Order: sequence, then C-alpha cells, then structure tokens
Amino acid sequence: MPTLIALGIESTAHTFGVGVVSSQGEILSNVMRTYTPRIGGIHPREAAQAHARNAVNVVVEALSRAGVKASSVDVIAFSQGPGLGPCLRTGATVARTLSLALGKPLVGVNHGIAHIEVGKLVTGCRDPLVLYIAGGNTLITCLVEGRYRILGETLDIAAGNCLDAFGISAGIGPMPAADNLAMRGEVLHDLPYKVKGMDVSFSGLLTASEKLLREGAKLEDVCLSITETVYSMLTEVVERALAYTGKPSLLLVGGLARSRRLAEMVGSMCSGRGVSMHVVPPELAGDNGAMIAWTGLLQYMSGFRTPVEESIVRPKMRIDEVEIGWRV
Amino acid sequence: MRVGAESVISVIRWRGRELIRKQRLPKAYRRPEIDERIRRSRTLHEARVIKTLSENGVPVPVIFFLDIAGSSIYMQRIVGAELRERLDKNNILLAERLGMIAGLTHKLSISHGDLTLSNIMVGVDNGLWLIDFGLSFFNATLEEMAVDVHLLERSVESTLPWLRMNFMEKFYDGYRDVLGREMTGRILAKVSEIRRRGRYVERTVR
Repeated sequence: MPTLIALGIESTAHTFGVGVVSSQGEILSNVMRTYTPRIGGIHPREAAQAHARNAVNVVVEALSRAGVKASSVDVIAFSQGPGLGPCLRTGATVARTLSLALGKPLVGVNHGIAHIEVGKLVTGCRDPLVLYIAGGNTLITCLVEGRYRILGETLDIAAGNCLDAFGISAGIGPMPAADNLAMRGEVLHDLPYKVKGMDVSFSGLLTASEKLLREGAKLEDVCLSITETVYSMLTEVVERALAYTGKPSLLLVGGLARSRRLAEMVGSMCSGRGVSMHVVPPELAGDNGAMIAWTGLLQYMSGFRTPVEESIVRPKMRIDEVEIGWRV
Repeated sequence: MRVGAESVISVIRWRGRELIRKQRLPKAYRRPEIDERIRRSRTLHEARVIKTLSENGVPVPVIFFLDIAGSSIYMQRIVGAELRERLDKNNILLAERLGMIAGLTHKLSISHGDLTLSNIMVGVDNGLWLIDFGLSFFNATLEEMAVDVHLLERSVESTLPWLRMNFMEKFYDGYRDVLGREMTGRILAKVSEIRRRGRYVERTVR
C-alpha cells in the first residue's frame, strides 16, 4: 500500500491546530496557535474569530514544515466534536474548503478518540485502559467490541476545567499554575471528594476551593489541596476500572496528562498493581492537528468518508457513538 | 477471604462466633490526610446505610462493632452462598423476593450502588441478604435506583442468560408489590434509557 498523507484540522476549543501525518505514523508537522482570553475563560465567539484569522497561516505553515504540497495530501480530516460550536464550525469550514478545492475526501473525527489514538501511536501500547483528562473532558474508557465504552466519567465539569477555572478565579491563570504553586503548599485543607463508582464530580470541589481562598486561606495551600484531591479521585476511579477490566496497561491522554504530580500518583497506584503506565508526550497531550490527521487516516483506511453535506459539527458528540473500524 | 478494590474482607472469631471484618486499607498513592478522611467517612457511611436498612426490615448483616479509626466494620457472617451460585430455574421465586427487598431499599431512598448476583447472599434457610454497601447512597435519585436494577439485570444476563426474562419478570412482580405501579413504571423507563446509553460495560470486557 502506498504511503498516504493526511492533513488534520483541530479547532474544538482555544487551539487552532493543523497537523500533517503519514500512514506510516510519522508526524510530519504539527502547528498550532492558541487563543488566550484577555480575561476569564474561553469566549467561544472570540476564539472562533481568532481561529479564522489564523487558519490560512497555520495551514500553509503546516504544509511547508512537512515539506508536502497541498496537492499531495490524500485526506482532509477535521475535528467534528465534541467542542465549542463556533470553534468547531471554523475548523469544519476550513476543512470543507480544502476538501472541495483540492478534490480530496473529507473525514470527520471525534476529538476524544483522536487524543486516544495518537497516544496509542506514540506510546506503542495496544489495548489499554485509557484515562482521558483535559480541559473539557474527563473519562475512563477502553475498547470493547468495536467501540470506546465509557466506564467512568465526570458527572459535571472536567478535571482540567476545575483546575483552570480555579486558577483563573484565583488570579494565577489556568494550568499548570495550580500544579506549580501546589509545590510550595504545606497545609492540606479538607475539600469535597466525590467519587460514585467509577464516576467523579468536581463542581463542588471548585466552589469549596474558591470559598477557602475568599476566607483567607493561603493560595499555595489551596492549590495543594485542590490538586491533591482531584488527582486522588482520578487515581481511585482508575484503580477501580483497572480492577474491573483486568487491563494490563493504562494510557494517560489529554492536556492534563502533562501534570507530573498526576502521573506520579497514578504511576504509584499502577506499579502497586503490576500495571504498565504510558503517558502521551507533552507536545501531543494538548489539542493538536496531528492527532486529528492520524485518526482521520485510520478512519479513511478502514473505508470511512464524511460527505460535505454530512459534515455538520457535533458539539456534544460522545466517544461511544463511533464505530471503531480499524485494527486495535 | 476476599480482596476488593478498596477493602479486605476476613473472617474472625469473637466469643465463639464468626464475624466478618470489612477493613478499608490505606492507599499509598494518596496523601495520608486525604486517605484517612476518605476511609473513615466511607466506613461510617456504609455502617449508617446498613443500620438504616436493618432497622427498616431489609435483610442485611447485623453490625457488631464499628472501628472508625481502623476503618473496619465487624458484622454478622451470612452462612450460605452467593445468589450467583444458587440461582437456577427451580428457585426463580427468589427473584420475586429480591424484587421486594430491592423495593424496600429504594422505598427508603437508598440505592445499593453495586447490585450484582455476587452481592446478594442466600442463607441456609433460603433467605436472601444484601451485602456490600460500599457504593450505596442515601437520598438516591431515580437514576441511581434504576442503575441498581440495570446492574442486576446485566449480572443475571452474564451469568444465566436464558433466565434473564423470567428472572426480571418475577423481580418486577416483587418490586411492584412494595413500590406500586407508578414508581415501578418510572424505574422501568429509566432502566431502558440507561440501557440505550450503553455505558455500563460487563465484567467480561477483558
């Protein structure tokens, strides 16, 4: 089979990214621009406008860094969901335009599955239990009979969202600010620890942390308390899922996989159980185009296409909706 | 005797009696401050659920001692076998009794949280007992109660698939007797919604 080349477009939240990947699993380029709000969290419309301004430059830069001509691209993949509607639509518009202009097939990719597939590609682990932790998503999943089944997930906000929102309201900014300050924390405050089976809940924890701060607790101590509590909860549900599935390996993907303390805690639990832990490398942990390109290629090679008229974005798409047609 | 995801179950002797000790062991990955608080509060919570059920006529093991500092519950040992091992087409009436017991539990707004055939014991006199309330809730929502029923159905399905329809029919007979038609209807609707969502994975995922 000749080598195929995919161009992948990611735009679910604050990152507009374009990656070029070959069917050999080589990441030829991975370019991104991140919108940073002046105040507060991501404003969907402003982020989408920033993506639209950056789109052309990022596509051109990704192709030139990869040393690939636009006409040599075989597949145009884009992030179809889940994510922020306006941001998704910007990426989808760029993807449709490229697809029509170049006459290349379009493939809509589930953002969460892309995080998982790129993690499997670069760590080489085959059929792991996956902890996907990011700003917008927190879930535990593994492949069963052709779908990523959700064993556990957050019942409200994502783990990354909890830590980012705390950092922003505390004036230190999003992650990794809370992780960094936690290293200087000394006192561990009691915070709500909500685990229901293999599900977790973080919203009460966020509110309680903000309240602690308002009441005059030391910032470093609150950072220590919130991060330790979030990571303990995640480690506990992952341990339960490992016991439940009997999987011999665990893969950490998503932006929060960059947290050293989380990886340390999960790693300590894994080594106690004889489970091997794999962590996606930092440069592929956050949202990026390469993961979309790679997953788009996998889908393309198993015969999947997204006709332009069916390429509507899916802000609330779940990972367990997608049939996994490719090899594990 | 048994090592679960978070606790160790052992049989101990006390004044000529056999008791079960359920002990939550420390998790080395957690900071001790968090670890101790969680183990204590869960032990206390489980004991409270068992006590409430016991006082309201739900067959659960009697608690003899509670050692909060040691995160241990010492309770009656149920002599018998798991329902998983006892269930067959000849004693399908157990399903109806189980339906009544589950109905009684839900009537108290308590959800079991892990209602599988391994967490239901059959005593020597063929009486049923519920055990392991580690994942239970007070003030359970409709969803949490429906999850109980759903997990039970899945558990029957994976152990004795040919018995599932019959079992659930009998189960709902008993359940309806306690909770009434309206509530049972709401639970049924929620169970089918949960099944459609398809997010609960069987134990055989390996």
